[in-house]
Amino acid sequence: MRRGKGTGALGLRVSNAWIEIRENPGRSFLQALGVILGVASVLGGLSISDSQRKRSDELFVKLGGFDKLNVQPSPVSKEGTPSALKNANLGLRFEDATSGEALDPRLVTAVSTQKLIRARVRSAFADQERQISGVGRDFFPGEGYQIAQGRLFSNADLESAAAVAILGSEATQVFFPNGDALGQTIRVGDVPVVVIGLLKERVFRFRKDQRRNIFWWRNRIIALPATLVQRRFEGDQYQRLDRVTFKIPEINSLQMFSRRLSDLLRTNHRQQDDFRLDDVAARVKKQRSNGDVYNIIFVLSGVLSLLGGGLVNVNIQLASLKERVREVGIKMAIGASGREIFKEFMTEALVLAGLGALVGVAVGVAFSRIILEILGVPLYMRPSSLGLAIGLACLSGFLFALYPAAKASRLSPMEALRYD
Amino acid sequence: MTTLIQTLGVKKVYDSGQSVVHALRGVDASIHQGEFVALVGPSGSGKSTLMAILGCLDSPTSGRYALDGQWVESLSRKELARVRNEKIGFVFQYYNLLPRASVLRNVELPLLYAGVSRKERGARARELLEKVGILDKAKELPSALSGGQRQRVAIARALANKPALILADEPTGSLDSNTGAEVLGLFEALHRQGHTIVIVTHDPGVAARTQRRIELHDGLVVESRSAAA
Repeated sequence: MRRGKGTGALGLRVSNAWIEIRENPGRSFLQALGVILGVASVLGGLSISDSQRKRSDELFVKLGGFDKLNVQPSPVSKEGTPSALKNANLGLRFEDATSGEALDPRLVTAVSTQKLIRARVRSAFADQERQISGVGRDFFPGEGYQIAQGRLFSNADLESAAAVAILGSEATQVFFPNGDALGQTIRVGDVPVVVIGLLKERVFRFRKDQRRNIFWWRNRIIALPATLVQRRFEGDQYQRLDRVTFKIPEINSLQMFSRRLSDLLRTNHRQQDDFRLDDVAARVKKQRSNGDVYNIIFVLSGVLSLLGGGLVNVNIQLASLKERVREVGIKMAIGASGREIFKEFMTEALVLAGLGALVGVAVGVAFSRIILEILGVPLYMRPSSLGLAIGLACLSGFLFALYPAAKASRLSPMEALRYD
Repeated sequence: MTTLIQTLGVKKVYDSGQSVVHALRGVDASIHQGEFVALVGPSGSGKSTLMAILGCLDSPTSGRYALDGQWVESLSRKELARVRNEKIGFVFQYYNLLPRASVLRNVELPLLYAGVSRKERGARARELLEKVGILDKAKELPSALSGGQRQRVAIARALANKPALILADEPTGSLDSNTGAEVLGLFEALHRQGHTIVIVTHDPGVAARTQRRIELHDGLVVESRSAAA
């Protein structure tokens, strides 16, 4: 007849625990407060950090994604008189782009090149000194530009150094305020070029209410075929560049490719470090590990408040035990073992911790919502953060219930019954 | 007749560090199965201590105690809990019902501790409440009941696991005489059904309605005699 399964003992313990909690709202609230604050602070902290991280991930996607490897020229000597060998170097050239792609054509899905010059740009409406980009084949898709009107440079344009231009939205506004830019001619330096394409406006804001468009400068672009720049402007036979970007969708291979590319370029550049590799993924990784520090701080502060709350909790439980000694005595007299009393107290503490965790989740979400609202970042929460917060709460609820429950279970039935 | 309770030189000493109290100085007593016994004596005579030991709520400092053929003086806390659960039903002066549990749940509790299934628990508890005549109050909280009704609930709870022994500590002590008489009547009915009942009392009227009186004085049995009948 004893200790069979399916006696409903657990369910009854839980429902008794619930009655006990309901009948003592003040005490239960104080007991749960530590858990509530702990969960709220862990979850609040983590969800703010999660949201920021998601936001910055989105930012990187908008900036062109993680899958990019930038190479830029870099001054070969930072101080002192450069050696003849250093002076003889040519810097980043078009050849670097083609040989880099040849390293692993399957890995590299696009190579975009950019040569920057400054030139006077004139239309019927404006006359300004502007930065001009001489661009290669994959530049526009690689940089996240989309065409609004007209077309991108064709292979024929790029090969024949055609006198054509593509304008960003700001440049279009400035040079053709009437909106009839397509097909018109602008003079870049002394070269007349025909506008064949207009780009969509690029907008990016960290927050919804942010006035400043962080991408405004991208709309200032005036792009010519790289070959045209090289032949008619500052170019030379070496086809020096200001930037080469390799697009490598397989992020896992990025690090490896970056090393191989660096070796190749050094070899081609007479062992001189006159270029700079900029591994986007590595930067992202670094930023993420910065975030980890904050996460540790958030979890730590949560754990500390759980700890503080837990100690208060133990105190309250011990105080309430005094009121309940007689009840424990009655239960023992009718046959409850110490173990059963222990289980009842633990059940109550765990039910309370669970309820506290739920309230804590609500408080934490509300709390981070308010802060994120102020920061203008949408709320995002990883399931693992939620799990961590609730797990920690239940763990602390469990640990801090052990001592009072053990104390209750060790009461002498005789003394407990006579207790007043 | 089978012996249900047998004590041999049971002593209980309370040592608080400052003073030593000899509550029981060597009690030899035996109670047979089916007996209806009153444990009497003035306050301080040790009857409450003896009842606690007979009820396995406490262990003797020395001496031996056999309940239902089992030596229990050296059992562990866990084993004692089991003995209390299965072999003893307590009835107290102040009822000692759980205030926040319904009447039904109070009666179910010993069955729960015994591991009886939910269905069987409910059925048995109802049966017991019917037996003591308050099945209609099953859903009420004890606070909604009168003293006599509460004591009936306590008796139903004591009977839950069909105990070998019913131990009642001043069961009529906080009831008016009519209700007290009714409760005593219930005990007599239980006795007729074959239950072994020990009532601790200082009320001679109550003691007179039992078969036998064991009288304690200063921790010793001074008289153990059958009632005039």
